[in-house]
Amino acid sequence: MLISIRDLHRVYQVGTEEVHALHGVDLDIDQNEYVAIMGPSGSGKSTLMNLLGCLDSPTKGSYRLKDQEIAKLSDDELARIRNQEIGFVFQTFNLLARADALHNVELPLVYAGIKHEARRQRAREALTLVGLGDRMKHKPNELSGGQRQRVAIARALVNKPSIILADEPTGNLDSATGEEIMAAFKRIWSQGNTVILVTHEADIAAHAHRVVRMRDGKIESDTRNPERVAAATQP
Amino acid sequence: MNLRESTGIALAALRANKLRSFLTLLGTIIGVASVIAVVSFVDGMNRFVADKLLNAGSNVFQVDKFGFITSNEAYVNAMRRPDLTLEDADALRLGVGHAAMVMASADDQERIHYRAKHLDGLSIHGRGAGYDVIDDLTIAEGRHLTDVDDQHRERVCVIGPEVVDELFPGMDPIDKEVRIGEQTYTVVGVTKEKGKMLGQSQDRFAVVPVRTFLKYRGERTSVTINVKSLDQASLPVAIQEVRNILRGRRHLGPGRPDNFGITTADTWMEFYRTLTGGIYVVMIGVASIALLVGGIVIMNIMLVSVTERTREIGIRKALGARRRDILSQFLVEATTLSLSGGLIGILIGVGLAVLVGAVTPLPAGVNVPAILLGILMSSLVGIFFGSYPAFRASKLDPILALHYE
Repeated sequence: MLISIRDLHRVYQVGTEEVHALHGVDLDIDQNEYVAIMGPSGSGKSTLMNLLGCLDSPTKGSYRLKDQEIAKLSDDELARIRNQEIGFVFQTFNLLARADALHNVELPLVYAGIKHEARRQRAREALTLVGLGDRMKHKPNELSGGQRQRVAIARALVNKPSIILADEPTGNLDSATGEEIMAAFKRIWSQGNTVILVTHEADIAAHAHRVVRMRDGKIESDTRNPERVAAATQP
Repeated sequence: MNLRESTGIALAALRANKLRSFLTLLGTIIGVASVIAVVSFVDGMNRFVADKLLNAGSNVFQVDKFGFITSNEAYVNAMRRPDLTLEDADALRLGVGHAAMVMASADDQERIHYRAKHLDGLSIHGRGAGYDVIDDLTIAEGRHLTDVDDQHRERVCVIGPEVVDELFPGMDPIDKEVRIGEQTYTVVGVTKEKGKMLGQSQDRFAVVPVRTFLKYRGERTSVTINVKSLDQASLPVAIQEVRNILRGRRHLGPGRPDNFGITTADTWMEFYRTLTGGIYVVMIGVASIALLVGGIVIMNIMLVSVTERTREIGIRKALGARRRDILSQFLVEATTLSLSGGLIGILIGVGLAVLVGAVTPLPAGVNVPAILLGILMSSLVGIFFGSYPAFRASKLDPILALHYE
């Protein structure tokens, strides 16, 4: 099992009040799954995503990623896990505005301590893979929304992480471009990656093979989409 | 985080807003420039003064009534001491085995007249034989004063070239009669030009025989006795001999202090160093204030930068930057900023020093230790004042930073 979550709690202190954002979540995700996490705002899906992405630590419970317990790691150890195991794709792209596409994609490799030349090479490959081989020297403001999100996808992939974690990846895109990006995720998944999609849009979630619905800090339902799974496993 | 990238970000930010960068760095620039300029001046002066003091009249020391006086109280006490006389000088000439030369001198200032022209406040040097060596004077025209002039208390004088220019323009001054005070003197010689030292003319004086000087300006004047030792090594021995002889002549028992003063070039150097030490203290004060202000401005601009780039910090953290990566990125940026200011300050300081060296008689030039000091100081300012903003940046919560608008 790639991800194994048991009885996960996350409590925030808001003023004098305690807010239970997660209230005992159990979840297993296997290698090369394509999972959508859905739910209305306040359902705890963002909290769950932050925890899955190792941006946050749970108040209680266990989160094992590749058989390593994440719940008790220090900030710097979490940074290393994010660097090695997680590839983020955000709704607002979150590219560095002053850096060109190539440099943005290189960034995770900088923190992985990879040498300059190797870094360049791998970033070029990742950009070519998302179809931006001819846009490497462009700054984010010289690229369209879809192109920016593809730069972000290349950045997420470049350090060969265990999980691609996408938070409303089509939220800032028109529907045609959104479809294009979803096609990119499908391709990534078919190459053997594990993709976790956080969204509140049902038609985006429909691309996944498994949909986890959240409500009030708990998992409400966890359904496999047999039609999708069947389609995906067809030759 | 690599150094090149952080430096690049900082330099790009500097270039992007040149006026703001200049204002940000002004304090650092002023601090470093003042340090470089002052260190260059003082160091140049030190070398110049040491050169002049130690070369001109080398191995010479002065014995007089007062010695080196630095306070009013010491002066009042020294007033009660017995005068030094020509007899003392004669005794030293006979008794000091390690002396190459002993010369009595006395000095005053007086108006000098030639016909309708006059010069005010001219230095009148009463000198015994050997003054040419001890005062380092060479004759350009006529002759030097002689021992015979001195013994006969002749009213003759040797004058400096600037006096010639002022009193005898276009004339031959030799054998002309000048009036100094109430007496007339015959000009027998003119010295070669020596130029200026620290802006003071060295060619504006009249030398008369010391006995003539004393005869007309007061027999009871205490003289200064100049002693030139055989060589550098025998200087301390000669000083000791002088002390023994004078103490003997004055019947000073053991344990009683000298009632005369001995001044060497070293005494002057020491005094000079005390003076320039004061300049250093003032400079350190000015530079510290400028660097403090400069540092605070840099801290402020770095705090603004951390806030502006909260989201960037969030992105970097999400992609795996550790605390120390963010910390070092902002530290390098702050240091790049302050170091840029330091380098501009060094250019200005060196420029000032070279300019002053070129247009004034003050010696000043490029001073390598001062430049290194400037680099060191500006780096330290960046590291010190960059620490807090960098620490703040490194402590940001990645989730909050990512959603910062």
